Amino acid sequence: MLSIKELHTSYGGLKALDNVTIKIEPGQFVAIVGPNGAGKTTLFKSISGTVSAERGDIQWQGQSIMAMPPAQRPELGIAHVPEGRQMFRELTVLENLEMGAQTAEAKSNWTRNLDQVLGLFPVLGERRNQLAGTLSGGEQQMVAIGRGLMSAPKLLMLDEPSMGLAPKITDMIFERIEEIHKETDIAILLVEQRVAEALASCDYGYVLQSGRIALEGTPEALMKDETVRSVYLGL
Amino acid sequence: MKKHLDTPGIKAIGAVALAFLFAGFWIDDPYIKQIFINVTIWAMMGVAWNVFSGYTGLVSFGHAAFFGLGVYTVVILALEYDVTPWIGMPLGILAGVIAGALIGLPTFRLRGVYFALAMLAYPLTLLYIFEWLGYQEPTIPMKREDSWMFMQFENDFFMLVIGAVLMSVAVWISSRIHASRFGLSLSALKQNELAAEGVGIDTKAWKLRAIMVSGGIAGAAGGFYAIVFLVATPNSAFGMLSSAQAMIVALFGGVSTVWGPVVGSMMLIPLSELFEATIGHYLLGTRGILLGVAIVVMMLYAQDGLFPKLREWLLRGRDEVTKPSSVDAPPAMADQAPRVIGSDVVLKVSGLSKSFGGLKAVSDVSFEVRQGEVLGIIGPNGAGKTTMFNLLNGFIRADAGRVEYGNQNLVGMAPNRVCALGVGRTFQVVRPFPRMSVLHNVVVGAYVRESDDNAAFEAARQALARVGMQAYEDVLAGGLNSLELRLMEIARVLAGQPKLLLLDETLAGLGGEEVEVVLGVISRLASEGQTIVIIEHTMQAMVRLVDRFVVLDHGTVLASGKPEEVTKNPLVVEAYLGKKWMENAQH
Amino acid sequence: MIGAIYGLMCVGLAMIFGLMRVINFAQGEFFMLGMYGTFYLVTWLGIGGLLGPAVAAVIASVAVYALGALIHRGLLSKATGIAVAGTEGDGHYPQLILTLGVSLVVANGALMIFGNMPTVIKSEFSSSAWTLGPYGGDDGMMLFINEARGAAVMMSVLVTLAVYYFISRTTLGKTLRAAADNPEAATYMGIDVQRSHRISFAVGAAITAVAGGLVATYYPFQPYVGLEFVVIMYAGVVLGGLGSIMGAFWGGLIIGVVQQMSTLVLPMQLQNGMIFVLFLAVILFRPQGLFGKNVERA
Repeated sequence: MLSIKELHTSYGGLKALDNVTIKIEPGQFVAIVGPNGAGKTTLFKSISGTVSAERGDIQWQGQSIMAMPPAQRPELGIAHVPEGRQMFRELTVLENLEMGAQTAEAKSNWTRNLDQVLGLFPVLGERRNQLAGTLSGGEQQMVAIGRGLMSAPKLLMLDEPSMGLAPKITDMIFERIEEIHKETDIAILLVEQRVAEALASCDYGYVLQSGRIALEGTPEALMKDETVRSVYLGL
Repeated sequence: MKKHLDTPGIKAIGAVALAFLFAGFWIDDPYIKQIFINVTIWAMMGVAWNVFSGYTGLVSFGHAAFFGLGVYTVVILALEYDVTPWIGMPLGILAGVIAGALIGLPTFRLRGVYFALAMLAYPLTLLYIFEWLGYQEPTIPMKREDSWMFMQFENDFFMLVIGAVLMSVAVWISSRIHASRFGLSLSALKQNELAAEGVGIDTKAWKLRAIMVSGGIAGAAGGFYAIVFLVATPNSAFGMLSSAQAMIVALFGGVSTVWGPVVGSMMLIPLSELFEATIGHYLLGTRGILLGVAIVVMMLYAQDGLFPKLREWLLRGRDEVTKPSSVDAPPAMADQAPRVIGSDVVLKVSGLSKSFGGLKAVSDVSFEVRQGEVLGIIGPNGAGKTTMFNLLNGFIRADAGRVEYGNQNLVGMAPNRVCALGVGRTFQVVRPFPRMSVLHNVVVGAYVRESDDNAAFEAARQALARVGMQAYEDVLAGGLNSLELRLMEIARVLAGQPKLLLLDETLAGLGGEEVEVVLGVISRLASEGQTIVIIEHTMQAMVRLVDRFVVLDHGTVLASGKPEEVTKNPLVVEAYLGKKWMENAQH
Repeated sequence: MIGAIYGLMCVGLAMIFGLMRVINFAQGEFFMLGMYGTFYLVTWLGIGGLLGPAVAAVIASVAVYALGALIHRGLLSKATGIAVAGTEGDGHYPQLILTLGVSLVVANGALMIFGNMPTVIKSEFSSSAWTLGPYGGDDGMMLFINEARGAAVMMSVLVTLAVYYFISRTTLGKTLRAAADNPEAATYMGIDVQRSHRISFAVGAAITAVAGGLVATYYPFQPYVGLEFVVIMYAGVVLGGLGSIMGAFWGGLIIGVVQQMSTLVLPMQLQNGMIFVLFLAVILFRPQGLFGKNVERA
């Protein structure tokens, strides 16, 4: 469904992605792990179109989307839940969710999608009229994911959802992500620093280091591999 | 040639002034002579605006305040107290200088947007005050006898001479400032005020000096204006058009250059007068439209102004220093002299804490840094590492805890003072002065240690040698690649001869070989006895470089010790790889 | 009372400055164009009646909307844009200068076209007044409300309420707020941020133009009039607090009231001076205004 072929990108004058090839099938849960600075966020930005590539191709359902402007990509069914959550701070929870539903399809299924999101994250229902900027980190993350879901996507991209969150909240977020994977047929692309949580629930994983794919495989294979450890800890 | 273009000396300035006067001498038409005189007035105003706003980047919409004060000082003194402008002018300059200080002190607390708006309000307030005081049209009375005592000359040419002299003095002042400690400090704070503070520059003091000099020059322009036109109205003195004209002349001609405002004035003023005289007879407002269009066009197509383009054409590649093919490679880490780690504690952090809102960014952090060691601060993203550096530096004030350096507690100290004590820090985003040489870029770091400019340049050279870039002295910084920029940044901090060096993600984004070079340089510094604390993510590099690690996670210290121990510590593994990894590894 | 009209004018600026942190120097010129537009609509097309000028002002504002959109598309978007909007620092510099240039061109262009004779919109209502009262017994206070001004004030309040509704209830309004709040996230949602900024800008221009048209019914104006009002506008927005559209309205209102009151105390020239002093005071001592959010301080 989403196919990234030999992508080379530079960002701010530095090489961010080096010959990256990744595939995601419909309904699949793919995790990309790697230490900080590995290029994970740049990868998402390339898919969303806010960073342009030097070489390589990104294909969606067989068609190249390299030339498509960023504002049109959500139409394809790609939802990007950004790093650091990126709330519309001055808008309420409900309004934030509203902003997620930009496509015509999303608007027509508004009520149903909203129910689904509130079912996953009941606390948002309680806080629906609260300004997003006043929420806690965990609640903001829930809004961010909910926002992504409101666009009724085929692919949900999550950029480091655990960042800055306390361990218990992180666990909860990952549980919900697993739920999304089980209950819906939305494909998930998860990028994370914390390896074990990410690999635990995914179908397939990639290890990104300094812009290159260092390793890929099933979660079981990756968990056993010493290379992962050395990528993170150097020894 | 380049020197005459960038920092003209008395000879170059004198030559231009003489040429100007020569042209003016042969012109009989008093109207055109008037244009020449106007050129000098607005060239001065442009220089005044540039000296402040051009170099600091703080856009001032209110230079008419200083201008107007200069005008009114001369006029009122002449009118009410019969004081000759020969005395009035210097007083007008003084008024400008004092106003600069008075306006600057409160207004510098503001940033960007607010600063510009506040500056807008000052001259307009003065306008209304002077209107209220009744000075609608004070005029300097005509003096029949001893007219030269009152600067009223029969022959306009003498007026032009005075104008040219004043303009030359202003340009000379600007030139002295440009590549000196003054100008470079201002440019540094324009690029990145925090980084400038971190390198030891007292930004508040320099801004104040700049606005005072600027106010003085504008006051002189105003005083001269009064003598030429003999009448002052609140609108012509304090009105928007005066501020706008000063700004536009400088922007059009070239911001942050010495000749720019002069070029701008020489081009725009005659043009606008010409339009006024021809089309202006039928249609009002041509002057404003011309200025407006000029500046819009400039902003869209040549943001740097006319002079830089002119300069490029004049130099045409001459005086271009070719870049060396590469930096001096440091010896391999294995071949370097072993580090001598003393028992003296250079830095002692105890119980450091900082919260933002409800979030504890740094929580009860304690560690020591010993003389001559390389300490690595690591941890997953969001662990609080950069916040901690900011606390050490003085950019943020800690809520609790002590940072002992020597016998001082650094908590609560201003960043430039922390730097003066010997703590140097690099920054992640390195933005050089692209049109200046590497040496000029680096010397900014030396000012904190050396009060003599020559000594500062010497220190800068030595710093460049320490990172292996001594061959790059005269290369323009705009052409450097990322490795060279990183090393230059390190050199800049080294120029201040710090006792403690804080490196902030120096390896970020560099490729394999480049990383090796930087590692070698840092390692060599350590073997020379430099005490270093470094934040980095690239673990595989860090493991080879550091003597000890301190691992942060969620703002607290998880572990500290030698690399081999720390990377096997279960808490650390869990922090990076996750709890489930450890559980899995048990099986 | 004039305060209400000032309030409206500030709301216009708030859309641009308060929301998007774009310093628009030319806002005063939009105000001025509204005045001239309304004037010509009233005198040429003879839109009369009590509400005539008010209606004409709204019609004129449509033209200003178009101009604003054009300016943004052609000029501003080149100097600003996604990377820069809402950020501090460098992005402001070219914006500032650019809008200054636009302001000069528009103001002087108007000078060329309209000449510099002070004009005012007169109607049979300018001099008649409604009387209210007497309050407090037969010998009590009588309130005279000038009819033309009264109509203008009502219109201001109406338009402000309409703007409020638009911004807070409609999808487009929310989208505009989102695009200004976090352009990056907005792009990920599929919002065309450039277009949103353009619309915000043009709407801001139009609103201030309406205010201009309303002020034109009692205040003599000439092409440079924008300058007199631009500081009032910024003072109102800052006083009300950046980021708060309604705050800007109250800010403008307060300034209007202060100005009216100062006529009782201060001589004429100092009245305008008062506004600047007030402005400086707010900026120096309470930059976040009454309703504003966190503000960048040195």
